[in-house]
Amino acid sequence: MALKLKTDWILFTTILLMVFFGAVMLYSASSVMAQLKYGSSWHFFFRQLAWMAVAISAMMLLKRTNYRKLQNPAVAFPAVGIALVLLLVVYFADPNHHRWIRLGPVVGIQPSELAKPALVIFLAFFVTLRARAINTRYTLLPAALAVGLITAGVGVADLGTPIVMIATVVAVLFVAGLEWRYCMIALGMAAMGVVFLVASKPYRLARIVHYFDPDYKIVDTIDPKGRVKAYLNTSLTSRDTNYQAEQSKIAVGAGGPLGLGLMQGKQKLLYLPEAHTDFIYAVVSEELGLVGSIGVLVGFLVILWRGLRATVLIPDDFGRYLALGITTMLVVQAFMNMSVVLGMMPNKGIPLPMISSGGSSLVSTLASLGILLNVSEHAG
Amino acid sequence: MPVQEPLTRIVLMDRQELRPLRDLSYSTRLTWLAGAALLWAGLIFGQLISLQVIHHKDYARLAWQQQEMKVDIPAPRGPIFDRTGQPMAMSIPVESVSVNPLKVPDMGVASEILARILHLDAGELHNRIRQAYDHQRGFLWVKRKISSAEAEELRSLHLDWIDFATESQRHYPNGTLAAHVLGSVDHDERGNAGIERSLDAELRGHAGQELMLTDVKRRGIDSQVAARPHAGAPLTLTIDSRIQFAAERELAKGVEEHHARTGSVIVMNPYNGEILALANYPTFDPNEPPKPGDDGAHRFDLAVSVPFEPGSVFKVVTLSAALETTELRPDSPINCYNGVLRLPGRVIHEAHHGFGVIPMHEVLERSSNIGAIQIGFRVGAQNMYQYARRFGFGSTTGIRLPAESSGVVRRLDRWGTTSLASISMGHEVSTTSMQLARACAAIANGGLLIKPKLILKDGDSFTPTAAPVRILKPQTAITMRQMMEGVVISPHGTAHRHVHLAGYTAGGKTGTAQIFDLKTHHYTHQYNASFIGFAPVTNPAFVIAVTLIGTTGNGGMGGAVAAPVFQAVATEALRVLDVPKDLPDAEPQPEQTQPAEDDDDADDLAIADLGSTDPNVMEETAAQIAGAEEPAAPETGPRVPNFRGKTMRAVVEEAAALGLAVSLDGSGIARAQYPPAGSALHEGERVRVEFAR
Repeated sequence: MALKLKTDWILFTTILLMVFFGAVMLYSASSVMAQLKYGSSWHFFFRQLAWMAVAISAMMLLKRTNYRKLQNPAVAFPAVGIALVLLLVVYFADPNHHRWIRLGPVVGIQPSELAKPALVIFLAFFVTLRARAINTRYTLLPAALAVGLITAGVGVADLGTPIVMIATVVAVLFVAGLEWRYCMIALGMAAMGVVFLVASKPYRLARIVHYFDPDYKIVDTIDPKGRVKAYLNTSLTSRDTNYQAEQSKIAVGAGGPLGLGLMQGKQKLLYLPEAHTDFIYAVVSEELGLVGSIGVLVGFLVILWRGLRATVLIPDDFGRYLALGITTMLVVQAFMNMSVVLGMMPNKGIPLPMISSGGSSLVSTLASLGILLNVSEHAG
Repeated sequence: MPVQEPLTRIVLMDRQELRPLRDLSYSTRLTWLAGAALLWAGLIFGQLISLQVIHHKDYARLAWQQQEMKVDIPAPRGPIFDRTGQPMAMSIPVESVSVNPLKVPDMGVASEILARILHLDAGELHNRIRQAYDHQRGFLWVKRKISSAEAEELRSLHLDWIDFATESQRHYPNGTLAAHVLGSVDHDERGNAGIERSLDAELRGHAGQELMLTDVKRRGIDSQVAARPHAGAPLTLTIDSRIQFAAERELAKGVEEHHARTGSVIVMNPYNGEILALANYPTFDPNEPPKPGDDGAHRFDLAVSVPFEPGSVFKVVTLSAALETTELRPDSPINCYNGVLRLPGRVIHEAHHGFGVIPMHEVLERSSNIGAIQIGFRVGAQNMYQYARRFGFGSTTGIRLPAESSGVVRRLDRWGTTSLASISMGHEVSTTSMQLARACAAIANGGLLIKPKLILKDGDSFTPTAAPVRILKPQTAITMRQMMEGVVISPHGTAHRHVHLAGYTAGGKTGTAQIFDLKTHHYTHQYNASFIGFAPVTNPAFVIAVTLIGTTGNGGMGGAVAAPVFQAVATEALRVLDVPKDLPDAEPQPEQTQPAEDDDDADDLAIADLGSTDPNVMEETAAQIAGAEEPAAPETGPRVPNFRGKTMRAVVEEAAALGLAVSLDGSGIARAQYPPAGSALHEGERVRVEFAR
C-alpha cells in the first residue's frame, strides 16, 4: 500500500446513506407485519441492524483489500465452487423452497445471494484471461458451462436472480467485445432457460400470463379445455398474481408528489404483499412521495455513474470487468425491482439492493460495493 | 471490432499486459450499455411521474376506498315515559355475535360450535359463512341480540374469530301496557308502529360515524370519530299509565264479558286534548317480534285507524246543530210518530217501542231514532253537513300516531234522499274513536275543537298545545252537557242504570249501530256498541270514548256494554286525577229500576236498513204517523219547584220529571235559582240553578 489511495467519497457516502435510509424504511414497512407475526414491531429492524454490522464490516474490509488480489485462480474458482456447493446443499437442506440454509433459529443465509459476487469475480477473471479470444468456442463454452451451472443452481429457487445474473454476464461479455451473434445466441439460450424455469413452477407462469392476459381470455381461446388454467391455479389463485401489481401501483400512486409522511403509509397494512422485501420501494414511494422514489432512483444512478467512471478510468482489464460486473448487477437488480413495483414488469421476486430486508442480500451487495469502492480508488 | 485471432497468439498473450484495451469497440459498447441503463431509468422516471403526479388522485381514491371503513356509532334511542315519569320504553344494551369469515379456521367446525350454543341451524350458518368468505367479506352477523348466558358460553371458548358487539334492544317494561300507543321497533331499532314510528326521527337521534383504517383482513388499525352520535330525545307522553291500565283492564273485561270482537277506549283531557289513555283490544306485547303468519290484526291501532259507523252517539252532533241553527230547545216537543216513520223507500222504526211527542232532551235520553230524524230535518242537510265537519268528522285529528283514518262524511252533493235521516242518527258516516272523543271534548270544554295531544314533553321542552277552534257557542255546549247528563240520570235515559259515579256527576251518550257487511252489502245483526261521556258535568276533567265492536243481541247495546266500561274507567280516572267531588258523599243510591224497564237499554239502536218491511205494517204505521202529526197540546205552564239544597242529580231528575228545562252552573249543592220557587214558567223558559259547595 505504498500508493496513497483516495476514497471515492461520493460513492461511499451514497452507499452509507442508502443503507441507513433502507434501515429506516425497513422499520416503517415491516413494523405492522412484525407485530402481527412476531409480536414485536422491531423484529425485522433489529435483525437488519445486525446484518448491517456484518455487511458494513465486509464492505470496509474489501474496500481496503487491493482488488488485484482477487485476480487469482485460487480466488475465482473456489468462489464459484463454494457457491455451487452451497446451492447444492440448499437444494436438499430446504426441500420446499431451495432458498435458505438455516444456521440456528435466527440466522439464515441465501446461497443465491452469495453466488452473485462469486459469479462477478469469476466472470472478470475469466474475461480478462480470454480478452483477446473472447469469441472463440474455447472461451465461450467453459464460460457458458460455468454461468449455466450457477444460474441453473439459483434458478431452481427463484427466477429473478438468474435473470439478473444472465443480464450481468451478457453485459460484461458484450462490452468485452462479444460478437453480436454470440450475444444473440446467449440471449436466446437465456430466454429458453427462463421459459423452462418459468414453466416449471405454476406460480411463476401464472404471474407472467397474468401480466399479459389478466382475465385469461387468450388462454381460454388457446386451451378451451382449461388444462393450462388448472395448472396455473394449482398454487395460487388468479386473483393473487394481479393483486400484488395492483396494490403496489395503488401504494405508489397514493403517495403523490410529497408522500403521506414517514411511517404514515397505509398499504403496508398487509395490502402490499412483501412490503418489507420485494415491494419496499412501494412503501418508500407511498410515504415519501415522488421525492423519495426519485431519491432512490438517483442513488442508483450515482452508483451507475461512479461504477462506469471507474470502468473507464481503471487501467487494467480485471478491474474494469470487475467494476462493470458489480455495477451492472446492482443497477439491473435495482431497476428490475423498481419496474416490478411500478407495474412495468411481471413480478420476479427480487429485493431492492441495500433497502429491502434480507441479510444475505445486504452482505452480498455491500461486499460487492466494497470491491467497487476499491476499484474506484485505484481508478483515481 | 476485433477480428478473430489465431489461437497461437492467445496462448502467447501476456497475462499481465498493462496497456488498456481502449479501442473504439470497447467505449462504444460501454456507451451503449450506459445509454440502455439511462433509458431504463428514464422509463422508471416516467412511470413514477405518471403514477404519483398525473394519476395520483385516482390511486389515492382507490387506496382510500379499500383502506377506510365507515362505521356507524349507534346513538342510544330515546326512552319513553308516561306523564308521571314511569318508563314505558327504553333501550338496553345486549350483545350480538359476529365472525370474521376470513379468519375462521374451519368453517364446518365453526358453524357447528356456533349453531350448538346459539341454537341455530348449522348447515344454514355454514352456507352463510362460506358465502361471506367467497365475497371476501370480513364481517358476518351470526346472531343478534343473544342472551347473556349464550354470550358467556361463547366467551368462555376464547376463540379469536368470534367478535361481540354491543347493540341496543328496545325493552317495554310494562309489557302490553299502552302497546298501541307506543308501537314497536324492528330489528334495527327503527320504529314500525305507534309513537315509535311517528316520532322515530326524534327518538332515534343521530348516529355518529367513525372512520376506521383497516388492514386487508378488515381489522381496525386506527379510527377517528368523524361525527359524534347524538342520543335520541326522551319523550314524555300524556298517557297516565294508571288510567291506561284501568282502561285496558276494563276494556278487556267488557269485550270478553259481552263476546265482542274488538274494542277501544280513549280517555282525553277535553281542554288541551291530552290523551290520558288509549287502549285497544286485542292487544300485543311489543317486546315480542311478530310471529310468522301473524296477520298483524293485534297490532292495529283501532282507535285511530279503523273507522266505523257511530250510530246513536252521533245524535249529539244532530242536537248541537239543532240548538245552534233552529229554534229547538231541550224542551221543544218532537213528534216521534209512535215508533214508525215512513220515508221515501224506507220505513224507520224505533228499536223497541215508539214514543209520541216528547221533548227534545228526551229524544236524546231515549235515543229516539225518529226524533233524531225529525230534528235532523229541522236542521237541514246543509247545516247537518257543516256541523258534522265542524265537529271534525271526515278529517284527521292530527294526533301523532301513524295511519290515522279520517273516517267518511260524504260531500253534500253525494247525499241520497234519505241520507239526512241516516246521518241524523249516525249512519252513512264513519268515524274513529278518536274523532268521537274529540267531538265529545268539544261539548265538554264549552264548544272548542281541540287537537288530540300525545306528546307532553319532547326532550326537556313541553310540546305546545295547538290552538283550539271554536265550533259551538258556549251556551250550546252547556245545554248539550245538561242533556247528556240526562242520558245518565234520567229514569228513561239509555245509560241510566249503567253509569253511576259515586260523588260525581256525569254525562254521555250511548250508541249502537249495526255493522255493515261489505261482502253481502247488508247490515248484520252484529253491533258496535259505543259510549261517549264526560265527568263531572259542569267542569269535566276528561272525556271517555268507549267502543266495542261485534256485540250481539239486546245485551250488546251501547248502554249495556259500553257504558259500564265508561263507568269503571271514569271511576278510576277520577280517583287518579283527584277530581273534587260535585255530589255529596251521602248521596242516596239511585232507585232500583224494574226489570220491565230493561227495554230502555236497547232504545238507542239506530235502525239502518229495514227496506223489506211488511207492506201491511207500513200501512198501519202510516196511519199512526198521520195521527201523530198533530202537534202536542201545550200543557199549562208548570210551577217552578224549590231546588235549593238539592244535589245536582236530584235537581236534574226532578226537573226532568216535571218536564222543566234547567240550566246548571257550578257544582255541589243548589244554592240559588231563577225564577224563584213557585213562580210560573213561560214557554221555552229555563230554570237557572246555581250550585256551590
